[in-house]
Amino acid sequence: MNARISTLLCLSLASFAAVAVAVCPKSALPEIREQVVFWHFWGGRDRPVVERIVDGFNRSQTHYEVRAIAMPGSNLDLKFFLSVAGGDPPDLLNHDDPVVADWAHRGVLTPIRDLANADELERLKQWLFPAARELGTYDGQLYALCNGLDIRALYCNSTLLAKNGLQAPKTIADLDRIAETVAPADGTVGRIRMGYLPDPRRLWAWGIVFGGRFSNPNGTTVQEMVTADSPEVVAALTWMASYSRRYGPSEVAAFRSGEQALTGASFPLLADRRYVVVMDGQWRVRDIAVASAAAEVDGRSADDFSVTPLPSPANGRSHAGWVNGNFFVVPDKANNKSGAWEFMKYWSGFDGHEQIAAEACAAGGWIPSSQLVVDQGAYQQALERWPLLRDFVLLAASPTQVPIPSLPVASYYYQQVTDAAEEALYRGADPESVLRRAADNVRQRLREVLHDE
Amino acid sequence: MTRRQFSELRTGLLLISPWLVGFLVLTVYPFCASLYWSFCRYDLLSAPRWVGLRNYRRLVAEFWEGGEVARAAGNTAYYAAGSVALSVMLGIGLAVMLSWPVRGRAAYRTLCFLPAVVPTVAAAVLWIWLLDPQKGLVNSLLKAVDLPAQGWFQSTSAAGWPTAWPVDYAGRIFGSKDGLVLMSLWGIGNLLVIYLAALADIPRQLYEAAEIDGARRLRQFWHVTLPMLTPVVFFNVVMGLIQSVQAFTQVYLVSDGQGAPAGSTLTLSLHLFLTAFKDLDMGYASAMAWILFVAVMAVTFWIFRTSRHWVHQ
Repeated sequence: MNARISTLLCLSLASFAAVAVAVCPKSALPEIREQVVFWHFWGGRDRPVVERIVDGFNRSQTHYEVRAIAMPGSNLDLKFFLSVAGGDPPDLLNHDDPVVADWAHRGVLTPIRDLANADELERLKQWLFPAARELGTYDGQLYALCNGLDIRALYCNSTLLAKNGLQAPKTIADLDRIAETVAPADGTVGRIRMGYLPDPRRLWAWGIVFGGRFSNPNGTTVQEMVTADSPEVVAALTWMASYSRRYGPSEVAAFRSGEQALTGASFPLLADRRYVVVMDGQWRVRDIAVASAAAEVDGRSADDFSVTPLPSPANGRSHAGWVNGNFFVVPDKANNKSGAWEFMKYWSGFDGHEQIAAEACAAGGWIPSSQLVVDQGAYQQALERWPLLRDFVLLAASPTQVPIPSLPVASYYYQQVTDAAEEALYRGADPESVLRRAADNVRQRLREVLHDE
Repeated sequence: MTRRQFSELRTGLLLISPWLVGFLVLTVYPFCASLYWSFCRYDLLSAPRWVGLRNYRRLVAEFWEGGEVARAAGNTAYYAAGSVALSVMLGIGLAVMLSWPVRGRAAYRTLCFLPAVVPTVAAAVLWIWLLDPQKGLVNSLLKAVDLPAQGWFQSTSAAGWPTAWPVDYAGRIFGSKDGLVLMSLWGIGNLLVIYLAALADIPRQLYEAAEIDGARRLRQFWHVTLPMLTPVVFFNVVMGLIQSVQAFTQVYLVSDGQGAPAGSTLTLSLHLFLTAFKDLDMGYASAMAWILFVAVMAVTFWIFRTSRHWVHQ
């Protein structure tokens, strides 16, 4: 009986193994082509564009074949680390979180100097926009190749501005006037429209505009590396919190609540005309175009929109703001680094691929990481098709567009500052004390990471 | 052991080996390893390095200074207290009503149990939609009866914590943690089954005796039903407490994976996850897990110790 059960078990296992081997997909690659495993987070309307880029690369190649694997962006870093810890990382990763410094510090990334020769590296540094270069740099070394920038500016509903006798803001006072005119501070509860309302996450932009820096680029001590509590950043948050004092923290929280769920054409500026002026990224240009086209089909008159750089106070910085972007990194333990490097160049447009990158950026409404790509005919046509995008592209070249400091605790830094801003705006906390606490937390974490304290 | 017994043992072990291997590899090993890691600096990428009690000292210091651990502990306590208390009250109330001999009782029971079979992720998404401050059904109902709309998962305010009320709260007192507590009641069907079974076990004679003594419905409930249910209440309180401390999926989903807004939904389990897998501080996260384990054990032990004063023997 027992022997029969054992035999049965063995047979079951053997059949299972046979079926598994039979259904296991065999590589469709010709033997001579090397596979490049590429992880990315692109989804929604961008996914087809990414698939076209990958197809284009694969068609152009006799040596490499990219196998793209889409992953949810929220936990891409976790999956990446588990793959590194498990000894089977992808050959290439495209990401958009501020993780380059952290990963480079941990030694899991291949520096670009190990992928490119010295001449290529020098040309690449000159080729990239300053912000794109800074995004990929840690400790003076380039670790990531940026393939697209995300720039923020103010979208203005010109139709509503004109209706209220207002113009696009040029100064902080103008912005305050728009807010006060459209939504006077008269104790109303449950407003449905605001002239302008700061978003806590955007302290990263306003801090720069107000003349601050979240890190001293030449700083050598932990105190200097984390400067979220500098007077200029405190001034920026104090100004943002003035809206909270004007309308009341709970009114601000209630108005903003639910906005994160609004996507696509229902973004706050368009959804029931919730805002007259709102800060957002270049990807909204396409939403506005879609909304305008829909209005035309329905026979409605669409609102007019304009884009303007963030207005600055006296002593502030013009054409300034917070920039982030998408970038490629190659894991230290990647199997096919040369294939990864070829694909990185292909997508970003470096080294003679500018026209291809321009076509991809034009299809996706993205901002290239180099002026040479912007100058290509395909991208210039996109700028003619979407005139609002031009304002973002002009900002991309500005040296006052600053990313999150390239520190090994950048993600933690981002979250701490955002939490501090939320506390100031939604709970009426004192801006200076919340920023000091956030900065102290980050400094402590940085000490632990850098000095093993 | 005879040859036959040995053979049977071998076959038995072979048959349960998939579970046994899973238990040893996925439960026992991580359990023991995490104790070792809690005394180490470990980031998954390099080998753990022994640092003694440093993680525990840091944990205590952060708690003492009111840092993220203290905030997470406060949020967890709020959620556990709210969800356990409300689930017990609502569970008993519903079970008593469902035990009344009315027409369609089986259908009502099924309806009340159904939500418990909905997967946590689906339920969380449903509740995010129901509690949407702008377009959610719950706020629409509140507005329909002239009550102020609440911020729910987008707001930091908390009903049981008046100091968190902004000065202009304008009646918006329910926030993210209250939303989570409300959501936890969704799975009350499991408790209902236990309460209904316990209700059915209460001897009829007790009610008859109470009736002869002149006790009406409310007094019968207070002096017969409730005391007889206390062993089950005790069980549900202990299990509910453990489950609420372990709650992760729903918290992760409603808080954008970060404990948003402003850390108001940062529970210990979420903080532990973020520390371990976002910050790659596995040693500190392990220390936190062990402190949490000991704390839950202590509270459970305390409930056991006090049970003789309120649980009907």
